[in-house]
Amino acid sequence: MNANTSRPEAAFVLLLMQSTFWIAAGISAFPFAIAGEVFMAILGAASLLLASFGCLLAIGLVRRWRRSRRWAIALEAVCLGGSILLLAVPVGSNHGLVSLLVNVALPLAVIWLLRGRKMRELFAR
Amino acid sequence: MFDISADHAIGLYAGFLALPIALIALWLRPARRTVPGTAQAAAVLMAVSGAIHLGLVSTHLEEPITSALFLMNGVAYVALSQAFTWRWWRLASSALLTSTILGYLLYIALGFDTPDQVALATKLIELVALGLVLVPVRGESRPRDRAWYWAALAAGLPLLTIVSGATIWGIDLATPDARHVHAGAILQATNDVATPEQTAAASRLFSETRAAMLPFDDWHQAWAAGYRPGGPTNMPTSHWMNEAYVKAGYVMDPRRPQGLVYANTRRGPVLLGAMFQMPRLNEFGPDPGGPLTAWHQHENICFTPFGFEFSLMTPFATCPLGAIDLSAPPMLHVWIVDNPGGPFAVDIDPSAVAAVRARA
Repeated sequence: MNANTSRPEAAFVLLLMQSTFWIAAGISAFPFAIAGEVFMAILGAASLLLASFGCLLAIGLVRRWRRSRRWAIALEAVCLGGSILLLAVPVGSNHGLVSLLVNVALPLAVIWLLRGRKMRELFAR
Repeated sequence: MFDISADHAIGLYAGFLALPIALIALWLRPARRTVPGTAQAAAVLMAVSGAIHLGLVSTHLEEPITSALFLMNGVAYVALSQAFTWRWWRLASSALLTSTILGYLLYIALGFDTPDQVALATKLIELVALGLVLVPVRGESRPRDRAWYWAALAAGLPLLTIVSGATIWGIDLATPDARHVHAGAILQATNDVATPEQTAAASRLFSETRAAMLPFDDWHQAWAAGYRPGGPTNMPTSHWMNEAYVKAGYVMDPRRPQGLVYANTRRGPVLLGAMFQMPRLNEFGPDPGGPLTAWHQHENICFTPFGFEFSLMTPFATCPLGAIDLSAPPMLHVWIVDNPGGPFAVDIDPSAVAAVRARA
């Protein structure tokens, strides 16, 4: 793994996709807010903020910002932990293929791409 | 949308089979070292997508145009997955990926297919592959137009993803199959037409439930019995749940329904009906009226404890931040007011609610 590794760019693409999924989730809350569910407006706005944060982290990865790597790994670890918890508890959450790809495989892939001493050194400059 | 169609399952197996083969094929090619890892990953993803398309040919032979399109698409993907050193590879790959995604959206919009998990997963794989094809890599000898690639990636990829999700979601909600109603609720399987005995049994259930519900016309009585409103009360209707009855697990007991549905009016709550709920997921209740009294189960709901509100999970299996995805055990409504859909309809017609609210 050299300084020209494309792992940060691959993580950028995945974070961009994840942020887009959060944008979709945020937008999807607003029709319910319009129908009278006021908290959904807050959750929708929070999702859009999270998506913005994800985009910022993605840009930071391409620019090799040290904090971006740490924050991205932390964010993905939280997402992964939450998803695994939802998979484990019997509340009837979706265990479909797309759910596994988006909520488990994608965070795992980002963590895998950014982990390790070489990547830490790459982001330490 | 959240199921796997029987004729699409083979595509999934083909995709899983193709993944290790594509990785080994890539590893065996020394030329891989001349391209960035993003291009290699995109090549593997395109090989997987190609295998899924090729796998679907066999189950679509009765539709010659569809199977021909799957064949051409699959072959093109597999060919491009091996041609990553080609000068025009990025352009050709991004064109193929974009046209395949847009073509699929057009295809389902015209009603030739219905979206399912295999199709959605394939589109996700293609979208990620498109991002990996487009993303410029530091230190890579790339064409001069890096700015265009960044612009296409930063604006085009999210836009294409949102358009894909919105189209698939819209089509899924607009054209549910026979067992999916009411924004994704799944109906209990029953016979098609009610027998005279089933009609009589449904009528009996309705009469008994309506008689037992009479005291709850006064919402104070419902409150005294342990029913509490869930969710916001500024909506046209509210479900009042009796947690003791939910925990006790009474099954379709007209005197002890797990929930009541009230219209929220200026003069306070007005009773619309009762709701029976089963204790566990995927266990539908007794169905004395056959198709007239089919239970339904809400799946893929995004529920938030903040205000006990809900929304629907997106096709990308995401919920708004602060909401979790869950399903509600099977339920059966009994509407004691005139409902155009009938006394056991999955939902009450907005016109029936409006009439009640107007009267109040």
